[in-house]
Amino acid sequence: MNLDWSVVWNHRDELLHGALLTVLLTVLTMLVAVPAGIVLALMRLSNSKALAAASHWFVEFFRNLPLILVVYWAFYVMPVLLHIEFSAFTTGLVALCLNVSAYNAETFRAGINSIRKGQMEAAVAIGMSRWQAMKQIIVPQAWRRVLPVLASTWVSLFKDTSLVSVIAVGELAHVALQIRSQSFRVLEMLTAMAVIYWLMGYPQAKLVDWIQKRFEVKE
Amino acid sequence: MTSARTGNGARKGSESAPVVVYDKVRKLYGDFVALDGIDVQVHKGEVMCLIGPSGSGKSTLLRCTNALETLDGGRVLIDGVALPTDERDARKVRQKMGMVFQNFELFPHKSALDNVAIGPITVLGMSEDKARERAMTLLEKVGLAAKANNFPSGLSGGQQQRVAIARALAMEPEVMLFDEPTSALDPETIGEVLNVMKRLADEGMTMVVVTHEMTFARRVANWVVVFDHGKVVEQGPPEQIFEAPHAERTRDFLSHLGWNG
Repeated sequence: MNLDWSVVWNHRDELLHGALLTVLLTVLTMLVAVPAGIVLALMRLSNSKALAAASHWFVEFFRNLPLILVVYWAFYVMPVLLHIEFSAFTTGLVALCLNVSAYNAETFRAGINSIRKGQMEAAVAIGMSRWQAMKQIIVPQAWRRVLPVLASTWVSLFKDTSLVSVIAVGELAHVALQIRSQSFRVLEMLTAMAVIYWLMGYPQAKLVDWIQKRFEVKE
Repeated sequence: MTSARTGNGARKGSESAPVVVYDKVRKLYGDFVALDGIDVQVHKGEVMCLIGPSGSGKSTLLRCTNALETLDGGRVLIDGVALPTDERDARKVRQKMGMVFQNFELFPHKSALDNVAIGPITVLGMSEDKARERAMTLLEKVGLAAKANNFPSGLSGGQQQRVAIARALAMEPEVMLFDEPTSALDPETIGEVLNVMKRLADEGMTMVVVTHEMTFARRVANWVVVFDHGKVVEQGPPEQIFEAPHAERTRDFLSHLGWNG
């Protein structure tokens, strides 16, 4: 077999740019999906039936669809149906946010529910409103419990961003696959792609391990 | 130990209007009748102990006092005013009452000092400096000034419960509610909590205490209410309940606890 690894080096700028876009997509998605997840969880746990139902169906809808379908839907159907048109990058970001917000909502809901009922009662008994109690007492405790789960979500998301390559967002997967189809250097490019993803993903996974140890719940 | 007790005849505080009135209070959990027409009054400066077997409704009544539970019948009057059903108004009434829980329920992510200060800061809008100052004074009062910066996980059960008492006192309540405050404690730390409660009683705090500590009830209470199956079996001064109970059920209950005067 005749291998030519120079194709990787020759395209280093594009690959680097793609990798940066992958990181940017991950960061932006989490920046939206963490607050959105908290809001959805609080809606779900609120006394308002309408808010709870809205949150419930949002979560069940996006959690049970394949992400790639949501990406395609946002790209092809959303402009027609809702007359909203974004760049490919923004469209991909929207799809990722919808999916990850739904997951984060469940993570936060479980975290909040894991806090003993007596904590809410103790807060209410000193005269706090339910909202104050959530903000001051429940969410800060839940936060420590969900952090390890959020960290795992982060690592999954980092890899799942590759799915937006199907709508030609120029992140790492898309760039690498483009170079592959232009240069016909399939083995080299797929290998390079794997190596780059792994080298970026491994430290993040290790960080997750550290976070999980650091924030172990002690009571 | 005669301090908090008025000796002959008159019930303590009975010359003025009662602070808490339970008027035919009913509470259901599905088909289960937890409280079945409770008529009890708490007078100012009085220590009232609620005793009786587990599941007899004592804790439920306590939780109805500050609207942690809703009523299915009857009324609870605080200073002559019925407990509001509206959440916002209920909050105002809760501020007049401090509550101490069986499992302490300190906030684990806050230091002892901040556990005590958070009520005045969040609810009363007090400045952080002033609230911490008040919190420190209260921690001194319960003998835990040296532990102000400890987190709950670094305190013994008895210490946690004393912080919880300070936390409730920080809101300057008119009435303190204690829900089996020593039931979750190691035997050797029960005394330190009961001592703090005894001192509060001596200072004239109005207290409603659900307890299985009969010695405490006998020595500190001014009024004892005996519960069974959601009903009041008997109520009266501790001398009556512990030495000459009128009801057969009271005698049974006390003898099961090994109480013999």
